Amino acid sequence: MLQKPRSRGRPSAQAERVREGGRGGDGRAPRGGVAEEAPSTSRGPGGSQEARCPSSQGGRRAEASPAVGPRSQKQLELKVAELVQFLLIKDQKKIPIKRTDILKHVVGDYKDIFPDLLKLAAQRLEYVFGYKLVELEPKSNSYILINTLEPVEEDAEVRGDQGTPTTGLLMIVLGLIFMKGNTIKETEVWDFLRRLGVYPTKKHLIFGDPKKLITEDFVRQRYLEYRRIPHTDPVDYEFQWGPRTNLETSKMKVLKFVAKVHNQDPKDWPAQYCEALADEEARARPETGGPAPSS
Amino acid sequence: MQGSTRRVGIMTDVHRRFLQLLMTHGVLEEWDVKRLQKHCYKVHDCNATVEKLEDFINNINSVLESLYIEIKKGVTEDDGRPIYALVNLATTSVSKMASDFAENELDLFRKALELIIDSETGFASSTNILNLVDQLKGKKMRKKEAEQVLQKFVQHKWLVEKEGEFTLHCRAILEMEQYIRETHPDAVKVCDLCHGLLIQGQSCETCGIKMHLPCVAKYFQSNSEPRCPHCNDYWPHEIPEVFDPEKEREAGISKSNKKPLRSRQH
Repeated sequence: MLQKPRSRGRPSAQAERVREGGRGGDGRAPRGGVAEEAPSTSRGPGGSQEARCPSSQGGRRAEASPAVGPRSQKQLELKVAELVQFLLIKDQKKIPIKRTDILKHVVGDYKDIFPDLLKLAAQRLEYVFGYKLVELEPKSNSYILINTLEPVEEDAEVRGDQGTPTTGLLMIVLGLIFMKGNTIKETEVWDFLRRLGVYPTKKHLIFGDPKKLITEDFVRQRYLEYRRIPHTDPVDYEFQWGPRTNLETSKMKVLKFVAKVHNQDPKDWPAQYCEALADEEARARPETGGPAPSS
Repeated sequence: MQGSTRRVGIMTDVHRRFLQLLMTHGVLEEWDVKRLQKHCYKVHDCNATVEKLEDFINNINSVLESLYIEIKKGVTEDDGRPIYALVNLATTSVSKMASDFAENELDLFRKALELIIDSETGFASSTNILNLVDQLKGKKMRKKEAEQVLQKFVQHKWLVEKEGEFTLHCRAILEMEQYIRETHPDAVKVCDLCHGLLIQGQSCETCGIKMHLPCVAKYFQSNSEPRCPHCNDYWPHEIPEVFDPEKEREAGISKSNKKPLRSRQH
């Protein structure tokens, strides 16, 4: 929906109608009331519900009834719903979602119960959509969604988008990095890719701008780390796996991909196979679950 | 999941995969939705009988209710194809459009939307839209740029272009009906038969009531003397055919079997 004029207090009224199974939007006059007004999403720092409470910007309170006044079950539900929508939409770009953005664009006045809201949203995301909300790195205050469902080849036939055609290139680079001992120089990457007809300076039919893709897009999406190697002349950079890669895939999966490409068995690379096995074991150990919003 | 009159269903991986893949389409035709459903069953639960689509979707919607979204069914205005989209029931500023477009682009859409609603035919000419470029909020936009933004709207299935004129994509109608009714309560047109939002349709030349083409098709089906339901005057327009999914399937099969789901211009 496009941003509407502020004065309308629709959502809770609308929710009622929806529950009765009636058709939405039958032109009823919007409620201007305040008490029942569902929170219109706050945009920007000043986005508080004007009529609600003047001192709502205060910090955390210890008492059970916060200064913002009692929130109805419906309002909380709506807030969680907004949060779920926000996370789904933001994750589409594959850029980690910052906690500050969540607070600014969705949570607003409900800051005091942010951890609970996030937990509820995470539960709904996993139960309803099969996406797990995960913090990118401990204390990074940014989140991504991980798919709990395994993608299947035939998915491509029923998708509405192309998926990501760039995934192929990403997998190749991830494979290169792992096979070379978890770090690789940029020059080595291009030496390899050139053999596949992918050049840093030439536009590619499928990948567009490979240099931008690898050194910028994948880095921004946190699939890769890209660091300058000091004291190199001409300047060289090195690639490593980024935090998102470790969350979305594994060394074993990447090794299997590399093996498949070469039409061989993962065990044909004993060193990497051992490393991948160790990684599998480490993953199998119980981890502290949940998005654990560090407040 | 609380205080609901409807019993809440259970989500399984079949439903989740279905939702995930449905979300990759802005809007999807019924036949493709069925195909998607079968695919999800195949991936997760080969042996189970594929539930009737209506029940399958109602089940998912009962779970989505507490998230204020639903899989909404509609019908294309021009040829009556049943379509489905995942729509937001609570109108807030978190929207699918807002994440893909800049402020001035969203404003261009609002302007185009207004022209479309006010028009007699449901179409707004490219020229008229572009002439409003100076009135846009946000960063200044030139006409050349605005032309590209309009194409971006078409690509993302918010608008449809026909011979230099623009109207709303069926996706936009499904997703934004509520928003449109609220923001244009006076200008909005409504179908005399189904009372749904009307952008394109036929009108009675005597009393002015309007009807959707598929509504006309159904109402006057096999009626040799179509008359206006309101004023009883002779209905002067050509009566379209009722959409027949069987005929579509026959035509489709002759083309190719396993082609990926394509977006159609509605």
